[in-house]
Amino acid sequence: MNPYLDGRPATTRPLSRFLLFGLAAILAIGGLTTRLFYLQVVSGGQFAELNQGNRSVLQAIPSSRGLIVDRTGRALVINVRTFVVKVRPVDLPEERRDEVVERLAALLGMNVADINASIDGNPGSRFDLVRIANDVPDATARLLSEAGDALPGVEVVIEARRQYPDGPLVSQLLGYTAPVSPEQLDSLKKQGYLPDDLVGKTGLEAYYEDELRGLYGSETVERDATGRKLQVLGNVRQAEAGDSLELTIDVKAQQHAQKALQWGMKAAGLKRGVVIVMNPQTGEVLAMVSLPTYDNNDFARGISNIEYAKLLKDPNKPLLNHAVQAHYPPGSTYKLVTGTGALGDGKINAQTRVLTRPYLMLGATRFWEWNHRGWGRCNIMCGFAHSSDTFFFQLAGMLGIERLAHWAREYGFDAQTGIDLPGEVAGIVPDNAWKQELKGEPIFAGETYQAGIGQGYDVVTPIQLINAYAALANGGKLYQPQIVRQIVGPDGVVVRPFEPKLIRKLDVPRSVLKTMREAARNVVLLRHTYNLVDLPIVVAGKSGTAEFGLRDRKGRLPFHSWFVAFVPKNPAKTAADPSGMKAVGREDSNLVVLAFAYDSRTKGNAATEIVKYYLQQHYAIKKDYRNFNLLQRGNFYQSN
Amino acid sequence: MGVIRAEPARMTDWASRSIGAAWRAFDLQLAAYAALLAILGLVMAYTNSVEQGQEVLTGGTTFVRGLMWTGIAMIVFIVATAFDYKWLKTFAWPLYGAQVGLLALTLAIGGGVGGSSRWIALGPFDFQFSEIAKILMIVVLANYLGSRQGRLGSLPSILGACVLVGPPWLLVMLQPDLGTSLVLLAILGGMLFMSGASLRWMVALLAGVLATLPFIWTYVLRDYQKQRLTAFLDPSTDIQGAGYQLYQSQIAVGSGGWLGKGLTNGTQNQLDFLPVQESDFVGAIYFEELGFVGAIVLLLLFGALIWRLLVSGWRSKDPFGMMFAGGLAAMILFQLFVNLGMVIGIMPITGIPLPFVSHGGSSLISLAVGLGIVQSINIRQTRAEW
Repeated sequence: MNPYLDGRPATTRPLSRFLLFGLAAILAIGGLTTRLFYLQVVSGGQFAELNQGNRSVLQAIPSSRGLIVDRTGRALVINVRTFVVKVRPVDLPEERRDEVVERLAALLGMNVADINASIDGNPGSRFDLVRIANDVPDATARLLSEAGDALPGVEVVIEARRQYPDGPLVSQLLGYTAPVSPEQLDSLKKQGYLPDDLVGKTGLEAYYEDELRGLYGSETVERDATGRKLQVLGNVRQAEAGDSLELTIDVKAQQHAQKALQWGMKAAGLKRGVVIVMNPQTGEVLAMVSLPTYDNNDFARGISNIEYAKLLKDPNKPLLNHAVQAHYPPGSTYKLVTGTGALGDGKINAQTRVLTRPYLMLGATRFWEWNHRGWGRCNIMCGFAHSSDTFFFQLAGMLGIERLAHWAREYGFDAQTGIDLPGEVAGIVPDNAWKQELKGEPIFAGETYQAGIGQGYDVVTPIQLINAYAALANGGKLYQPQIVRQIVGPDGVVVRPFEPKLIRKLDVPRSVLKTMREAARNVVLLRHTYNLVDLPIVVAGKSGTAEFGLRDRKGRLPFHSWFVAFVPKNPAKTAADPSGMKAVGREDSNLVVLAFAYDSRTKGNAATEIVKYYLQQHYAIKKDYRNFNLLQRGNFYQSN
Repeated sequence: MGVIRAEPARMTDWASRSIGAAWRAFDLQLAAYAALLAILGLVMAYTNSVEQGQEVLTGGTTFVRGLMWTGIAMIVFIVATAFDYKWLKTFAWPLYGAQVGLLALTLAIGGGVGGSSRWIALGPFDFQFSEIAKILMIVVLANYLGSRQGRLGSLPSILGACVLVGPPWLLVMLQPDLGTSLVLLAILGGMLFMSGASLRWMVALLAGVLATLPFIWTYVLRDYQKQRLTAFLDPSTDIQGAGYQLYQSQIAVGSGGWLGKGLTNGTQNQLDFLPVQESDFVGAIYFEELGFVGAIVLLLLFGALIWRLLVSGWRSKDPFGMMFAGGLAAMILFQLFVNLGMVIGIMPITGIPLPFVSHGGSSLISLAVGLGIVQSINIRQTRAEW
């Protein structure tokens, strides 16, 4: 019955729909309840754990990187606190990125492109910090950290940075640390490196990365979703500081070597050069200078792409340590190998005289004596001292290429010396097998001649060459050259004490080496090295002139010049031993010096003058014996 | 059987009798459940404020704003209760015009995050007109369906309702606000169902809509909407991306256990792991801090509220009243299920607030309007059995 009086139709109230709706509500709420029961009660514990893991994260505590000191304890690197600007990409809204990067660039005085490249090149995830600028001035850092909302995603972090007080003096040796590259991160991640971490890139910083880095600690930290640290919940492991390196390098010797090389290069107009100083009794490297060089502080501060590209493009390769990372033809210095071999194999003895001539004929080819005259009949003392090419051609012919190569390898050529620097190259000692592989034919007789005087295929690194002469000087013990003397733990306790590492004892009677040392003294006595003999100390050595490259219009080849010298333990000339022959006959030398002058075009041997200047400084000789005339631009190939 | 006498009475008699009758017809339970839910909302606003390190009673905190909105909502509720709902029928069409106009205005001048336009600034407040638009939609549909009593089994009635929902739905989609647009569809479906519309036609229409889903997926939905819709299927595959909120939310809920961690002790919340923790994801904080027992209380309150709404609808002799109560019940049930479903990982993220509890003035005011209208319906029924 219609309840309304005004004739409206009665409301249809579909009971079934009300009941069904109620049922739907019960099912929906029941479903929610069931799921909640499952989440909260059935698997509650598991989620509680996840919840704990979420708010507390294991965070790395960087360790303090080990220091590097020279053998006298002088600090070569220190850690300084600096402000570093980083960006967390996830907090930088994409639509504001251009504006933020522009402001950042203006504040930091950087290129917009460089900043964008850093952000896009981020090796980690979007939640990891990306390094933008190192070494930000205090005022800028304060400005940035107060900018807050104006610069979203930008963070200022305090970090320890490497500072190298001596800069370019030891850059080639120490190398530098720089941000981990994306390629490196893949393998380093497992060792606990962070995406914005620093790692030794070259030099000792790279070679001794594991020792220097120490052990990063970790702590559980409560953080919010943006990664901000709220409080430290617990320390899982303390960071352990890295070990420190005490070098064999003596900064004073290094300075002398650098000064000598810089002077020689300037006077002779050279582009590249190397000086190495070693103690032949132990294999310790006292100085190693390779010029041109760079300042590793530029890298520690964060080098710009432009500056870096400039260093890479420099034809004289300042980033390369030419003492170990490059090889060159050794020239006449290699006659040590040929002479030792001929004596050792009994092809000649100390008295055997060989006829030196203006040239030797081999087939239709003339192999010229360097002075185009020769010295008549010569024994090893004479042949080595005059650096007679025809003498050593004949010795090489007697030995044959295989024995010559054997003796070269005995002296450590054709193999890395094992010096504790990265990127060492091994050089080349040619033999039949080597040439067969390379060119499909054996060594020709003329090539054996060339090999006998350190020309042709022979290439050596400066460190190999000085190490061979060190073995000569100490009576036949070939040591592994070392740059790091000992490794000292953060507590001052020596972790790895110094120990000379013998590679081998040369398989040759000591008398042979004594003869070769006397011959090397004769080089100086015969004034092949001009006034070097006038120094108040006994010096023995061998020069070398190595042709390379292409002939000029007059048919002359450019050349490198070498000089390797050793000095007996008590170097002062004495009345009892006016020639110094007795002194060099002993095996007690504790100083070998090598100079290498790349692409010399001088009248005389520039390397000899550089070594002379080094010795003057080393032994504090007041009188200056430097022969400036020899460094004039002049005849190619005058001395050998 | 009684008959209403058209007999003038003295003013005082009328007033006292009328107020007394009105009070008896007023559904106290409905008001109480709603009030309790609103109090839970305030509690959550409080805990949020504390956990965000705010001085709770200073101006501008989530809690203070919540208090203020609750106060306004109570006034709105009383006014709506006192207001004779029958006028709504009279003004249904102008109201419809206002609804479409407000949505169009929002689209034109409104602000929002990331290029959307969802709210309009009214003085210091941002008002989201899509919330009141939902209530207006219920009014318009209740009027329309009520007027088609007896013809509800026909297809044109259903289509007519769909056509009415069309413009507001489109405007909401353009904002874009996927959540509200889904609520509008839920209201439409729920009210058609409650009105007794032909189930056969409704199913047929639903099938048609489902058939267009691939088209909507490809051309209508934005990328982020798609991501949010799919992330819930397996949030763990994309924890740092779209699945992040879902993952964090489930961790929060799961770590609550039986009794929860206690108010203001939720760590997920404190540490800002949960985005939009005070609005869409407020449920996660609630479940984390009050546990399963708290969840039961919340769900029971919602169940009771929906039950009272259905009772109000059933008691209404006016088809408008029945439809309106049904529509409001459908809206609340849908929002409840979708929002909490999202929080516990069984529904995708759609940006639908939890009625009463989610922080947000527009939502609360709109609910107050809706409940006020239901109470107005309750107390203005001309009973057949007098």
